[in-house]
Amino acid sequence: MKDPEMLDRDGEDGGAPILRICGASKAFGGVQALENVSFEVSQGMILGMIGPNGAGKTTLFNLISGLYPPDAGRIFFNEEEIQRLPTHQRVRMGIARTFQNLALFENMNVLENVMVGQHVRTRCGFWGAIARTTGVRREEAACRENALALLDMVGLVDQALKPSADLPFGWQRLLEIARALASRPRVLLLDEPASGLNALETGRLGDLILAIRNQGITIVLVEHDMSLTMSVSDRIIVLDQGRVLASGTPEEIQTHSAVRTAYLGEHCEQR
Amino acid sequence: MQELLQYIFSGLTNGAIYAVIALGFSILYGATRLINFAHGEFVMLGALGLITLWQGLKIPLAIALVLAVLGVALIGFLFERLAIRTVSRPEPIVLIIITVGASIFLRGVGMLVWGKDAHSAPAFFSFAPIDVMGAKLLAQSIWILVVVVALTFALHAFFKKTLVGKAMTAASISKKAAWLTGIPYEWMILLAFVLSTATGAVAGVIITPITMCSYDMGTLLGLKGFCSAMLGGLGSLWGALAGGIVLGVLESLGAGFLSSGYKDAIAFGLLLAILYIRPSGIFGAKDLHRF
Amino acid sequence: MTQSSLHETVRIGLLTGAVAAAGILFDNAYHIQVLVFIGINTILTLGLNLLMGYTGQISLGHAAFYGIGAYTSAILTVHFQFSPWAALFPSLGLAVLVALIVGIPTLKLSGYYLAMGTLGFGMIVFIVFRELDFWTGGSSGLAGIPSLKIGSVDLMSGRNFYYLVWGAVLGTLVVSRRLIESRVGRALRSIHGSEHAAMAIGVNTQAYKLQVFVFSAFLAALAGFLYAHCIGFISPGSFDFMASVRMVTMVVIGGMASIWGALLGASLLTLLPEWLHAFADYEMIVYGLILMLVMIFLPQGLLRGLLDIYERSRNA
Ligand SMILES: Nc1ncnc2c1ncn2[C@@H]1O[C@H](COP(=O)(O)OP(=O)(O)O)[C@@H](O)[C@H]1O
Ligand SMILES: [Mg+2]
Repeated sequence: MKDPEMLDRDGEDGGAPILRICGASKAFGGVQALENVSFEVSQGMILGMIGPNGAGKTTLFNLISGLYPPDAGRIFFNEEEIQRLPTHQRVRMGIARTFQNLALFENMNVLENVMVGQHVRTRCGFWGAIARTTGVRREEAACRENALALLDMVGLVDQALKPSADLPFGWQRLLEIARALASRPRVLLLDEPASGLNALETGRLGDLILAIRNQGITIVLVEHDMSLTMSVSDRIIVLDQGRVLASGTPEEIQTHSAVRTAYLGEHCEQR
Repeated sequence: MQELLQYIFSGLTNGAIYAVIALGFSILYGATRLINFAHGEFVMLGALGLITLWQGLKIPLAIALVLAVLGVALIGFLFERLAIRTVSRPEPIVLIIITVGASIFLRGVGMLVWGKDAHSAPAFFSFAPIDVMGAKLLAQSIWILVVVVALTFALHAFFKKTLVGKAMTAASISKKAAWLTGIPYEWMILLAFVLSTATGAVAGVIITPITMCSYDMGTLLGLKGFCSAMLGGLGSLWGALAGGIVLGVLESLGAGFLSSGYKDAIAFGLLLAILYIRPSGIFGAKDLHRF
Repeated sequence: MTQSSLHETVRIGLLTGAVAAAGILFDNAYHIQVLVFIGINTILTLGLNLLMGYTGQISLGHAAFYGIGAYTSAILTVHFQFSPWAALFPSLGLAVLVALIVGIPTLKLSGYYLAMGTLGFGMIVFIVFRELDFWTGGSSGLAGIPSLKIGSVDLMSGRNFYYLVWGAVLGTLVVSRRLIESRVGRALRSIHGSEHAAMAIGVNTQAYKLQVFVFSAFLAALAGFLYAHCIGFISPGSFDFMASVRMVTMVVIGGMASIWGALLGASLLTLLPEWLHAFADYEMIVYGLILMLVMIFLPQGLLRGLLDIYERSRNA
């Protein structure tokens, strides 16, 4: 793990890109959700991604995590081409995500949600489970410890044995982040983690995001909350109607005129 | 040649029936994205209902036909109200089990009411069969084909031309949007059930003169209707018609030239093949899960 | 977890005791026979519950595997003079093989399509049992299936078969329990929760669904083997669509995703026809009503649902 101080905060040069998207396109019927999108994410940075609803942000996450195949384009993780790999293999390589519309396992309790999140970092298989050897038991105990530690990190350790559906909405978002972290990712894709949170919760979420990055995990953050995105992101990329409209530091983006008209203006009117 | 033609004729007749059953699946799926595993039992109720009304109670045929279809539609209405509307978690697995339960239940009721024996009805009209190059085409078959094509036209017009029909299509595309535009979503579901079960009953009444009817006829017919609907693309009316005819003819040729014992396996083999190769059917579009 | 597995150990110990006690107390051959059928149905239900209850994948054609287990062994012993034990492995093996071949394409389907696919598969297998009459005896069935022996001891005599079946039940219970409480079990349950989310956390959903499908087919075939050698005669009617529906009903009554519920569901539905005379006439109505009512009012199953109602009424 790199010392965070050593990381290249700008991501312009130096740090090798851990994630690189080259010319990704995706259409649904007649809707061109993404059109020739290219960008890269350097190791250890927080990349903010903004854009109006329907810009294609979630679709981009789905392409990166492999839930949809791209129509065209290539995706590299650590310079390895991944767009043909199945989702579970990408998670094993180190890409984790959360969902815009929560996708917790409501048939499991909070602790189990985080334990199952460690799926790719544990081994016990069918025969192992039946034989229940000491090795298997040890792994199970370690898995549980890890899950509790992660729940502690997001502040949910007291809720461990509650059914996940019983948590308030904001906590469910945190639980989903903990579950994603359980796979020990190198890149974490967060899809609108602050939506539905109040100001206090959003503030804490910002701290949590920074803490995760300080563990050396690269983050791509899709978020409508401008103050959150601007304050934690190292770089920002603006998506509009499936294309990259602009990219740069938060300061550059805030003064970018096209962005102001296309997105920030519209966003202010909505409020 | 004559033999081939004869197989095709009998395949067309059966296929037309499968097509009507497939229409029922497609109407319901089009409006609710739901598949009713009890659909075949509504066909059975229509058939046995008609036999009782016409042969048993001596009600004139025309009135008996209407009563049988309306009666089954009423049961479809009750089914939606009592067993579908009341579900708190309408996930597929729950609805599958409920409709499978309904299918077994209706079959059990059918057995109590009509017994285990098969029943049959005389032909609706007594015209002599038409001779086409040595093969016999029954008047009944022509009549069935006419009914089926007319029914498809009527349903097509209903969904494309009338306000209610358009509203049903709209409601299936987005529940929320339908609600926002003031379409009574719940009524649309109910209407879809009533229409779908009524077409099932139509299939049942037109089948009575050409086959023996018994309480357990629904399962096979339902599955074959579903297979036809899948062939043509679930939700498409003309697809249902085409799928039914194709299945009927294939089955009849298979039974004629291969083995009649395995006739039913043809439909299921075809069903599995479609499900594996192209679950959206030949004409249907593929839809993706949204996250 | 340690506490709950302690409870489990105690429960399994209690069940073992109950099995032994029942074996000693019941000396009526009819009662023993009913207990044997409960055991066979419990094995079936446990297997289907892993697939349906825990993994959320419905199968409306599971009787096919039950039948494959029964018919393979019956044909090998009747036509080829295999000893029953030698026929056990080919029976289970064939079921596993068929499950693999059918499972790979079928389990790509979900929801209604999966239900229809498994239903179609079950129908095809049923038709094969009926039509291959040279081997299977067709609709009139296959008689003269030899009973199981260990050395010179006939297991059909006295309570031997009862102990054999219930030994298998206990083994299946322990194995199911261990599977559920492991990394594998969590992965299976995650698929039930949300298949896409399961993929997104790295579960190879296809592989896990296939594994549990094959395992449940294995258990169904084991039950079929026991059934065939228990009654010595089989016919296609025992493996038709209704048989699959019966299996689903046992899972649903006991509560999906409940191992102890499987025991309850299998017991209730085995005893019901024995208690209710004239049951045959009402069987379908009763099963249909059970399926609908339980899914509408107590989707967690009869046991859990009634307990919930009881707790609510006590708290109120
Ligand atoms: N599964 C899908 N089927 C059809 N259209 C989709 C699907 N997913 C996304 N879209 C469309 O693609 C476009 C981009 O959507 P999305 O990626 O969700 O945008 P964002 O996350 O930026 O709000 C939208 O027009 C949306 O309607
Ligand atoms: Mg989005």
